[in-house]
Amino acid sequence: MKFIKKAAIFTAGLAIFASLAGCSNSTSNKKATSESSTKTVKQTNVTLWAGGSQNVKDGMTKIVSAFNASPEGKKYKLNLEFIMSGTSAASLQDRLVAAKKAGQKKTDYDLILASDAEYSGYTQLGGKDIFLKYDKSAIPNIKNDKATVGAGQGYLLPYRGTTVVLAYDSSKVKNPPKTAKQLYAWIKKHPGKFAYNTPDSGGAGSSFVQTALYNYLPKSALTSSDKKWEAKWDKGFNLLKSLDSYMYKSGGKVVYPNKNQGTMDLLTNGQVEMIPAWQDMTTIALQSGTLPKTIKMTQISPALTGNLDSLVIPSIGSNKKGAEAVMNFMLTKKAQNILVNTMAAIPVINEKEITSSNLKYLKNLSAKDFRFSSIGDLSNDMNQKWTSEIGNGVK
Amino acid sequence: MNESRGLRKAIIPYIYVTPAFLLILLLIAYPIVTSIQLSFQDSTTSHFTIANYQYFLTNKIQLFNIGYTLFVSIATVLLSLILGFILALYIRFNQNKISKAVVALTVLPQFIPGLVAVYSFMMVVRNGGVLSRIALKFGIQYNPNMLYAAKGLISMNLWFNIPFATLLLLASLSSIKDASIESARDIGAKKMTLLKDIILPSTYKQIFIAGAFVFMSNVGAFTTPFLMGANNPQMLGVVLYREFNENMNYNQAAALSVILFLLCSLSAVVYIIVNMRKEKWR
Repeated sequence: MKFIKKAAIFTAGLAIFASLAGCSNSTSNKKATSESSTKTVKQTNVTLWAGGSQNVKDGMTKIVSAFNASPEGKKYKLNLEFIMSGTSAASLQDRLVAAKKAGQKKTDYDLILASDAEYSGYTQLGGKDIFLKYDKSAIPNIKNDKATVGAGQGYLLPYRGTTVVLAYDSSKVKNPPKTAKQLYAWIKKHPGKFAYNTPDSGGAGSSFVQTALYNYLPKSALTSSDKKWEAKWDKGFNLLKSLDSYMYKSGGKVVYPNKNQGTMDLLTNGQVEMIPAWQDMTTIALQSGTLPKTIKMTQISPALTGNLDSLVIPSIGSNKKGAEAVMNFMLTKKAQNILVNTMAAIPVINEKEITSSNLKYLKNLSAKDFRFSSIGDLSNDMNQKWTSEIGNGVK
Repeated sequence: MNESRGLRKAIIPYIYVTPAFLLILLLIAYPIVTSIQLSFQDSTTSHFTIANYQYFLTNKIQLFNIGYTLFVSIATVLLSLILGFILALYIRFNQNKISKAVVALTVLPQFIPGLVAVYSFMMVVRNGGVLSRIALKFGIQYNPNMLYAAKGLISMNLWFNIPFATLLLLASLSSIKDASIESARDIGAKKMTLLKDIILPSTYKQIFIAGAFVFMSNVGAFTTPFLMGANNPQMLGVVLYREFNENMNYNQAAALSVILFLLCSLSAVVYIIVNMRKEKWR
């Protein structure tokens, strides 16, 4: 009996202690923020959330320190929260949607990175009010932004482009294809020398598939998530099916590797001669020497699709003014040069403003041809259809 | 007084068990219950349906995937048990420098992160990889064709599981007394007789247990099949990942989880039966 009593007292004590600890924690938090705001001239915190691979992290880290060193940095202190992709951590989208659904307000999700292709995923899961419209007057540099997003206009501020290109081994391919038709003819002429990754495991393969489907459709289809376009995919899928037997084979069986890196490994090892690949990923691999020097990039016409990565303000954030200051900074010459330097990004401002040596990789690709796609949820359907009709074996 | 002490004695074990029990309830029982519930719901209407199971048990591709998963897992179990057992026998009955080195090598893979191991293995066995390059030095065009095929997957699984099986079997082998072996030899028992009448009867439990563990860890494997597997057929771990992360079909994913869970419980049943069985000869 005594023991039960003791246990009861102990658990009650524990509960009281826990609640006290919780209280003291929150009060100390409040104190800390009020202290910092009185010390400096009303400097407030802005937290930028980003996800992706190492090159995105490097680029964003540099942007953050450049922003904090700029005059705006006196008013706002920019912090970076980075979620490395492939670490099985919950994705940025999952976290933000979960926080919103849990009814959280005034979180530190002040500003996030999201591409226009991801936009519909956010709004579908988290509701249309998951983002706030940016205030144009707070972002004077917006007049220099040449890019226009396919989805989420007024919410998404595009700040860099990435696109898929053809990466090929110039020691083996002397005359790379210039048009989509020439590419498909090249694939059929060189069986086993081309590979693209499964579209659901990486953007390069997905872009290859998308390009094949949408070359048969009007231009407007590429930025539409209307289901009616699905009915018109058949021509493109038939093309992909006809290419299937000319793809890279291992042990006599056609293989579509998983992940963008999967095809890049095949290219590095000389197993294939040409692949669709992300232009920034290829540039970085060339710079660091993980790809042989003979690998070159080229774009076909009509181009393989790409994405516009954007900044967007979640409605559950707590510093809209600060977020807009960061948006404005991202469109400056300085920030754009950092992006081109560290991430081999395609700048959204006039190329004349860019002094980075990486520009030479971009120049070969004639930047005006870049084709941005935003088909939203259709890309899931596209991946599923590809898996069932091609990935699972062409009949 | 006496009564309360008795009560105390009765309660204490439960107090010790409670934290672990609560954790199991929260992290294992609760998710299982919700997935079972989810698996019987329609994705749009949330009404009761068995369509999610029907899909996996009637769709040709999915049946093929299930069969493929079983094939890879069972092949891994059999091969790692046979090779592990031979290795354990060697280590147990040979005490010299080589056998000690073998023990060290056996333990080594446990310290290498799985992803690193998979990528290293891929570098070696891929077409145009290390093996192909060595062969090319001797003027031979050789492609192992291991990647994107079941044999590559099984080899990689063996890399992970032979050490595991060996260590488990070694533990039970070392419980056999040298004296029993020697006395059997003294009265003229041959090596096969030793194996059949002394070694196997005292280790068969561990063999089944090791097999059950190897089977469980491979049925739901993801990393290796995702990086090394072909587009079709696919291991269920990868199929599950796609249903959940790419198709966002949570109900079908739940149904597949339950199917995987049932497959795993097959080996749990083996584990329990073997453990419950009383040895006649003891």
